[in-house]
Amino acid sequence: MTELIRQRGSVARLLQSRNLVPFIMVCITAVLVIFPLLRIVQISLTPDGLAAWADVTNSRLSPNLLWKPITTTMILGACVATGCLLLGGFLAWLVVLTDVPFRRFLGILSTLPFMIPSFAAALAWGTLFRNDRLGGQPGYFTANGVTIPDWLAWGLLPTLVVLVAHYYSLAYTMIAAALSSVSADLVESAEMAGAKKSLILFGIILPVVTPALVAGGMLTFAGAVSNFAAPALLGAPVRMQTLSTRIYGMVQTGNIERGYVLALILILAAAALLFFSDRLVSGRKAFTTVTGKGARTKRFALGFWRWPLFVAAVALGMMTTVIPVLVLFASSMAEQSGSLFSNWTLHFWTGPAGTDLAQGQAGIFRDPILLGSIMTTIRLGLSVAGTTMLVGLVIAHTIVRYKGTFLGNTLSQLAFLPLFIPSIAMAAAYIAMYGTSMGRIPALYGTFTLLVLAATANLMPYAVQSGRAVLSQISSDIEESARMTGAGPIRRMTEIVLPLAVRGILAGGILVFIKIVRDLSLVVLLFSSTTPVLSMMAFNYAGLGFMQFANAITLVILVICLMASALVYLMQNKIQGWKSA
Amino acid sequence: MTAQDQITTTPAIAIEHLTKRFGESVAVDDVNISVPPGSFLVLVGPSGCGKSTLLRMLAGLEPPTEGQISFGGKVVSSGASGVQTNAAARDAGLVFQSYALWPHKTVEGNIDWPLKVAGWSKQKRAERTNEVMKFLDIEPLRNRYPAEISGGQQQRVAIARTIGPRPGILLLDEPLSNLDAKLRVDMRSELMRIHRGTKATSVYVTHDQVEAMTMATHVAVLRDGRVEQFGPPDELLLKPQTTFVATFLGTPAGNLVPVTRDGDGFVFNGISLAVSAIAPHLDTAQLLYRAQDITVGAQDGRPTMKATYAESAPIAGQSMVTCMIGDLRVTAMVDGCFRAEPGAEIDLCFLRDPDAVFDPDGRRVA
Repeated sequence: MTELIRQRGSVARLLQSRNLVPFIMVCITAVLVIFPLLRIVQISLTPDGLAAWADVTNSRLSPNLLWKPITTTMILGACVATGCLLLGGFLAWLVVLTDVPFRRFLGILSTLPFMIPSFAAALAWGTLFRNDRLGGQPGYFTANGVTIPDWLAWGLLPTLVVLVAHYYSLAYTMIAAALSSVSADLVESAEMAGAKKSLILFGIILPVVTPALVAGGMLTFAGAVSNFAAPALLGAPVRMQTLSTRIYGMVQTGNIERGYVLALILILAAAALLFFSDRLVSGRKAFTTVTGKGARTKRFALGFWRWPLFVAAVALGMMTTVIPVLVLFASSMAEQSGSLFSNWTLHFWTGPAGTDLAQGQAGIFRDPILLGSIMTTIRLGLSVAGTTMLVGLVIAHTIVRYKGTFLGNTLSQLAFLPLFIPSIAMAAAYIAMYGTSMGRIPALYGTFTLLVLAATANLMPYAVQSGRAVLSQISSDIEESARMTGAGPIRRMTEIVLPLAVRGILAGGILVFIKIVRDLSLVVLLFSSTTPVLSMMAFNYAGLGFMQFANAITLVILVICLMASALVYLMQNKIQGWKSA
Repeated sequence: MTAQDQITTTPAIAIEHLTKRFGESVAVDDVNISVPPGSFLVLVGPSGCGKSTLLRMLAGLEPPTEGQISFGGKVVSSGASGVQTNAAARDAGLVFQSYALWPHKTVEGNIDWPLKVAGWSKQKRAERTNEVMKFLDIEPLRNRYPAEISGGQQQRVAIARTIGPRPGILLLDEPLSNLDAKLRVDMRSELMRIHRGTKATSVYVTHDQVEAMTMATHVAVLRDGRVEQFGPPDELLLKPQTTFVATFLGTPAGNLVPVTRDGDGFVFNGISLAVSAIAPHLDTAQLLYRAQDITVGAQDGRPTMKATYAESAPIAGQSMVTCMIGDLRVTAMVDGCFRAEPGAEIDLCFLRDPDAVFDPDGRRVA
């Protein structure tokens, strides 16, 4: 009898309204993430899909469809990861563990390259090194009579350089964070034991930061493997294909099933890697959290090398931030790419149509499509920032509140699943899922809505992560004390949680905004040419050889991102009337 | 509050067979406590004894697994029937250990908001806010933010915020644990003044037995989720029912001396301390001696044994002397200032018969 009551009680508890929120959130994440994935798998198992599997993996075409691209992709990934670890590790060591001058400045400089979209760096490279293999204007060096061989202008090497330049700051951030957790006590106790500097580095410091090295290597690897812009802009002219560009090519040319199969392979490769790295690292986390206060770090004296290393680090930072932007800027003002710094004209920005320049095309600010796409881009950024932060906050809140329950665990795993899905593969899955009409739901292909949905799914892990960071600053006591007064959930949300969370929400929102505004790999498949976003337009102009237009538009994207960041910064400062306790 | 009152009035708080399980572990285990209106109930025990979980169940922040809680005769939480009155609707206010002040609201805003949520008119809110700010002496701080005031002031704001809506039951979760020693003593009497002023029934959670003994009308000593003993503080001090209560309460804590039967006497360390007739059916027992019942230096006719001096602390003109007899730590009281070389051998004299006798399991037998 009591057993019966208890059973009824537990069923009643499951059906209680308090489980409604996590249930709804699980459904939302399922619709956003799981269904598209299942759909792409399902399509690949239809007769057409199975034929595509055969074509891709085992046919006359498969070397070109799969094996060469996947080899190139893996080489890119491995080289980029190595390069990023070397550069990022060097800078992190320099900034955190040595007495190099202006450490703070170097620290900030080293985080900046990640802010510059990889296609900006790729365009800048092209502006300088493009040779006459392709039509359109040649690059700066070729125009000035310097012969640029194909290997320097196109293909693997430039792609590699551009990707390393983009991703090394990611490795830097992770390694620097790990290095600063190596407390001086740890190093000093080794010194007391009589260990030499090299032994301290390899015996103490390196093992402690190994998890960060592995994680940094894997993340940069995953980033390089799924990057679309750099190989598309720099590799295509010499027929260098990666999995990303292959997927794009297949979907563009109507070989949809082959595209899906390749997307699945890319997802599996990325997921396997990240899963593997997570396994490798997870057992060792204890290393970094052994000590509570690791605030003080031990700095090694560089002696003679202080200034030379400083100059090297600054040069590296400049070459990957300021110089690409300057090149883009100069190019957008230069009539001839051979003379970047003379004969400047505003034609490519504001010039009228029908002149000798740019085959008679008007400057970008006279192009109604482009002006429209600025608005579309900003609208997209705002919409996605809004939806992801909302979903992210609610999911983060639900995960924290329902920690340990079945629904809570499911939700937390679903929310981080998109990390394993490269965005171009996510885009392919969205075409598979929502590209055709299903019953009452109309086909969403090419619509703004589809892009917002896909971007929300794609950026969900970042949003949930920022949501968690935001909520961790609000102790459960503060919400419970509001609950004690009788304030309902909505009132607690609007009057207690939101005012406290708004700064963090803005910070998370701007991250999402920037990520989507400068994104190419997601939008390239999902957006129609009638209402393009800026990154698409830049990509298209670059493909047509109008480098000045592509570069000018890229600068517009950078300016939008900078202005949005500045605005958020100002808003955050204005909001903080109270200081946090 | 006399025993008579307890029978005639409906208890303000009645806790019956209350149990809370988190998965396999039992945080609160079959707790039964009932106190009349206006009581000051202190839940005391070492950390992890379940006292905070019990308080959270009283507040309505956690549902019980089994058993029920009634406020003024009305069931507010029940494990069996699933009744779980809203935290706000049970006329109880909770002062959090962390204070949980809303950092984006001023002192005044913190006190005002619960009244606003409760639907008070603007004028009544202003009156009441001023009243409690005056009562807690925090009026000058009204426009400050929580981060701009000291810990003790934050504490006052937290209390003001909680008593604002005039709750019938005031719940306090270790409210003094974040304050320094001096402030803690001041705030203790302040809290008793507030208790008298609000006439609310208070439930106070602490691990500090001094707070329990000074403030409570009723004390429940908790251990491993169970009530070890429940009653007025004097009763717990004078008639501890278990060795845990005997050694947990009182300053200094009582001494427990393990003894074995030898003929007519209970013997420790070769010395007979008491006649075995005090616990005729036991072969081994534990005898409770208050510190004031043991002193240094032999006295005629009283059992005396050698001990190793460890340390001494002056207390109100006397010295609290700690010594070791083998592995047993014994506290004795000596008039005036007593000092000796640590490790020195001294005589300990048991001045009176044991205060209580416990069986080997720690239950009181005499």
